[in-house]
Amino acid sequence: MTEPASEPVPERDVAMTVNGRARRVRCEDRHLLVEVLREQLRLKGTHAGCLNGDCGACTVELDGQPVKSCLVLAAAAEGAEITTLEGVAQGGELDPVQQAFWDHDGFQCGFCLPGQIFATRWLLARDADPADTAIREALAGNLCRCTGYQSIVESVRAAAAGLRGEMGSGEVGSGVTPG
Amino acid sequence: MIRTALRHHAPTELAEAVALLDSHAERAAVLGGGTMLVPRLTRGELDLDHVIDLRRLGLGTATVTDGRVRVGARATYANLLAAPAFPGTAQLLQRVAGGITGGPQIRCQGTVCGSAAYANPSTEVPAALVALDATMHLHGPGGARTAPAAAFFLDAYKVDLRRGELLTGVTVAARPARLGYCKLKLAEGSWPIATAAAVLPPAGAADHAPGYRGAVVTLGAISTRPIKLDLAPVLDDAGRLPGDADVDEWVAARIGEPWEDELAPGGYRRMVAGAVLRRALHRAHEENR
Repeated sequence: MTEPASEPVPERDVAMTVNGRARRVRCEDRHLLVEVLREQLRLKGTHAGCLNGDCGACTVELDGQPVKSCLVLAAAAEGAEITTLEGVAQGGELDPVQQAFWDHDGFQCGFCLPGQIFATRWLLARDADPADTAIREALAGNLCRCTGYQSIVESVRAAAAGLRGEMGSGEVGSGVTPG
Repeated sequence: MIRTALRHHAPTELAEAVALLDSHAERAAVLGGGTMLVPRLTRGELDLDHVIDLRRLGLGTATVTDGRVRVGARATYANLLAAPAFPGTAQLLQRVAGGITGGPQIRCQGTVCGSAAYANPSTEVPAALVALDATMHLHGPGGARTAPAAAFFLDAYKVDLRRGELLTGVTVAARPARLGYCKLKLAEGSWPIATAAAVLPPAGAADHAPGYRGAVVTLGAISTRPIKLDLAPVLDDAGRLPGDADVDEWVAARIGEPWEDELAPGGYRRMVAGAVLRRALHRAHEENR
């Protein structure tokens, strides 16, 4: 498994749009997207966890879809639009899903947060009022080692309610749990 | 990180992809969704020099034409779920896509054809394709050919792909039928221990109603290859199944060497196969009342 010393490791320039900004990186063909985002673009909100597609900590949106960036070769992301956790908040304001996680303690150490947030965004874009089974199923690709699942599920419920307008805009970000 | 000096190719023509695969032979692999290939490269389980990325070949759609569903090699499970409801038996593909382990991230990345080409016994796709009598579309140095799914899956992790060949898609004819599907797994995030797809003649079909006569059940994750069982030999004269114990015994006797992995030993898979089969049959009746 050692590379031949005589052969150079193939590398290339890869152009992609990351969090709305055009970026060009020089990377090796073998580099994973999570490595490029973290090490070259210094976007540390994308976490390198299992590197096996199980934990979800490295989740980003690629062309609008949540993907585990440890399963993507950076070279294969040529021309892609990528949103990392740093790109979810707009103008210094947390987006409604982030805010609901903040209000309902939907994280402890925060390591799994990229997967939980992006999976929730994906779910709520398709189901405005998901049942608990749908919430748990949507989150199933993310492992929280703090085992904070209950508050994560509550955060998703709250995000859904907030986006449906069942709480006033002030309540969504107020830190007060209704009821 | 991947430690081999990997070179990424993204051909824009099928012929170019085939030529790359052919010229690099055992040192190359096809990159579909990447959910199987990339972690194996990261873990050092594969020692490759080239990956052939299908992304630019225009194989990313799932379409329904004249009662047939065609799934391109790059169509993800999410692509299947976003498509209009598949007709007839083809709806099994969407049912499988909706239950793929790994949440939305994996469903947005993983592909039906990638799973088929990888042929991990503990996955749902091989058995689903065999249950549907799918046609596998292959393209290699000698041009295009097709293979029936039942002949494509040769063994665990082994399929009928010749040198330089790649899987470009699968086609499923959507037949009217009653369909029941059952998957046994440890948890939402766990891979299947056993699957069963029951395909029964449509309700009211003169020669078959009301029993299971004409029923075919395909078991997945039980053996190295999908097991397709015609239930006719086990039915009584009225088309009814015998008792549960007899069904379990009949099914277990047809499994041969069961598959085993970290999820379950072979003996367990053999033991639960009958129950999973019966549940799929029950659902085929209940869901199509």
